[in-house]
Amino acid sequence: MTSLIISAFGTSLVVIGTVGILRFNDVYGRLQASGVSDNVGVVLVLIGLMIHGGWTSSDWTLLFLTLLLVVTNPIATHSIAKSAFVQRHSGEDES
Amino acid sequence: MTWISSAVLITLLPLLVRLIRGPTPWDRLLAYNSASNRVTVALAIASVLTRSVVLLDVAVVYAALSFLGVVVISRFMERGGGFR
Repeated sequence: MTSLIISAFGTSLVVIGTVGILRFNDVYGRLQASGVSDNVGVVLVLIGLMIHGGWTSSDWTLLFLTLLLVVTNPIATHSIAKSAFVQRHSGEDES
Repeated sequence: MTWISSAVLITLLPLLVRLIRGPTPWDRLLAYNSASNRVTVALAIASVLTRSVVLLDVAVVYAALSFLGVVVISRFMERGGGFR
């Protein structure tokens, strides 16, 4: 029951992030809507999966997947944001 | 758990809209990043539902490779690739 509540909270965060990606009108707004709510929602769904049905041996792989997503997801968002910022400003300087 | 998986997979549809008509290439890259996150979560839910450990390893490799692809493409566009 607890796992279902945590997973439902994560799913609602994922849906809110998707609405933000669809509705914002700027690259940085979309990056913020994706990078904040998406990361937390995905990690919450995975934590709910981890405590679903007790701790089994395959949950170590799930824990590794969660830690991998926690480390790599903000790096990817920051890389996209830095790429957009640098490229856009260098383009303004050239033209 | 089934409706959580279906809700996560239904949110792929607005991301497909953003992927097709994104004004800038970074919007398309962002939509691809979010879609790969959702696919990773759907793979993990499927592996827990069907009790198959192999799908979990597939999810780990998928997450690592999608992160590598997103970082490589964004670094490529940061250095001016595809624009000049």
